[in-house]
Amino acid sequence: MIEHIGPQLFNGLVLGAFYAIVALGLSLIMNLTGTINMAHGSFMTLAGYLAFTMVSRGTSFWFALIAAPLIAVIVGVIVERTLVRPLYKREPFYSLLMTFGLSLMAEEIYRLIWGPNGVPFSPPHALDGAASLGFMVFPTFRIFIVVVLIVAIVALALFLTRTRFGLRLRAAVQDSEMIAALGTNTQVLYAVNFGLGIFLAGIAGVLAAGMLGLSPTSGNNLLMPAFVTVIIGGMGSLFGSIVGGLLIGIAISLTTLFIPAASEVSMYILMAVVLMVRPRGLFGEEGIFG
Amino acid sequence: MKARTELIASAAVVMVFAAGPVLSPLAHLDISIVSEVLVTSIAVMSVNLLLGYTGLPAFGNAAYFGLGAYGVALSVKYLDVNFIESILIGIAAAFLGGLILAPFLLRRRGIYFGLLSIAFGQVFYFIAYRYTDVTGGEDGMNVPRPPLALPSAHVAVNELAMYYLALVLFVVAVIMFRGLVRSPFGRTLIAIRQNETRARYLGLNTDRFIFVALLISATMAGLSGAMFALLINFADPLRLDWHQSGYFVLSMILGGAGTVWGSLVGAFIYVIGHDIISTITQWWQIFLGALFVACVLFFPRGILGTVDVLLRRSPQAFTDDDVDAAFEAHAPGEVGRGV
Repeated sequence: MIEHIGPQLFNGLVLGAFYAIVALGLSLIMNLTGTINMAHGSFMTLAGYLAFTMVSRGTSFWFALIAAPLIAVIVGVIVERTLVRPLYKREPFYSLLMTFGLSLMAEEIYRLIWGPNGVPFSPPHALDGAASLGFMVFPTFRIFIVVVLIVAIVALALFLTRTRFGLRLRAAVQDSEMIAALGTNTQVLYAVNFGLGIFLAGIAGVLAAGMLGLSPTSGNNLLMPAFVTVIIGGMGSLFGSIVGGLLIGIAISLTTLFIPAASEVSMYILMAVVLMVRPRGLFGEEGIFG
Repeated sequence: MKARTELIASAAVVMVFAAGPVLSPLAHLDISIVSEVLVTSIAVMSVNLLLGYTGLPAFGNAAYFGLGAYGVALSVKYLDVNFIESILIGIAAAFLGGLILAPFLLRRRGIYFGLLSIAFGQVFYFIAYRYTDVTGGEDGMNVPRPPLALPSAHVAVNELAMYYLALVLFVVAVIMFRGLVRSPFGRTLIAIRQNETRARYLGLNTDRFIFVALLISATMAGLSGAMFALLINFADPLRLDWHQSGYFVLSMILGGAGTVWGSLVGAFIYVIGHDIISTITQWWQIFLGALFVACVLFFPRGILGTVDVLLRRSPQAFTDDDVDAAFEAHAPGEVGRGV
């Protein structure tokens, strides 16, 4: 049992990195517009299926890894402009309900196009083997996943802190009316921000398809842990989403090792404990989001 | 609506449902589907109390609904209970669930409340899904209808009896619900929806009101779930799932948030619509999703909410329902922070 703890911890980190990146996308959208995007998992699944179709038509995995999320972003921005945008001025639960409807439709549409059962989607042969780091052996694909997710998170952090656009985005989270009054087109911010969230979801979707499998509901299976991640990390905090994701990933993988039946419940216990000690979540800011 | 008009209209609705067993064959509806409408509308009412009246995005009520269903299913399987006892156990399970979750939900408002209720609501789903030894897991549990509690004979409860029981429970629920939302307690909930800060400054302990509202809501959803399991003789994890919560919310919006009878109208459209469309096409879910999108974008007041607004065009005395019109427009121009 003990010798499994190391590899299982690593698996937990990989899983946690997925939760973190999905939660980051959710948080980006939630922080700026107050929209709980229930269709987030559907965009992950979409990117996964698109990559599957591309690879099975003969394009390379590397091309699909970038192109599939980008197509998902285009779909996402169209959805945001046409369907979500009219709801920004209304109570936030309307957009929650609307995106829930979208995810129901998406699930059925995927079933129509790609069939009700899972499809096989395997990573390229270059990532097949395993790498030994001396004390432990890791599957190459999982290491690759971790690297890509870290790069994505660092790129996001740099974008938000080092570019003018990122600066405006963060300012708009604080006070979007003031930003609009200062001459920034906030509608562009909303659209780009939504697209950014979907892009993160898309990358996670393609990678998850290779590791966790691909079916009409596979994205939605990651959605619930991502919600818990946001709550544990604290709403409004992107850093919290990263920490929360890793915590949950480790909690789930360790309980899977010792008490398999309690693997999902463990994240709720973690969430309850965190909320009891810190009602705002680990890094949540006082005063934001009621 | 004037009190007498409302009384007459309500009585007419109840009369129509009382004649349900005669009328439903004419509409080619199975009587158990109409029972399902009545039972579901109690769950929709439970969402309406939190979301429609108090303004809390309650997206986790399926947890209480499912706890009611599993309370019945487990007690029928493992304890030797009669019909009434099984329902009481179902309600107790939902009440306990509410008691456990309320302290967590209570502290937050707006989308934070929504997020918490979705996430916590899912706990029971995973428990039911995972503890296959006890709950049968994904396959669910059969719920044979236990005999009614009669000292002399073990009387079986047939579909017709179920229907009239559902009708009686529904009427009682509506009367109590209407009384509740018009009582000082209900007015306070509406005040919380409109402006909680103001309610606090008036010296109201709003957390305590929300706590009680949560428990009432959980109990109603539990009653609905218990009856539902006995009605379809089945309980499965999907009753606990957040999708189920979403269907309740949709039904509430369809019927009219913050209206007493909206829950019945919404549940009617949802249950009957599901029954009809899913026999015509297997792509019911696309219709359902489109219904969500269309309803939110073009019809956020719902049917009775729209009727309410239209009726108010004619000059008449101010009624309690006036405040409901403020529901969706109470923070115009504000980018949703859920305050």
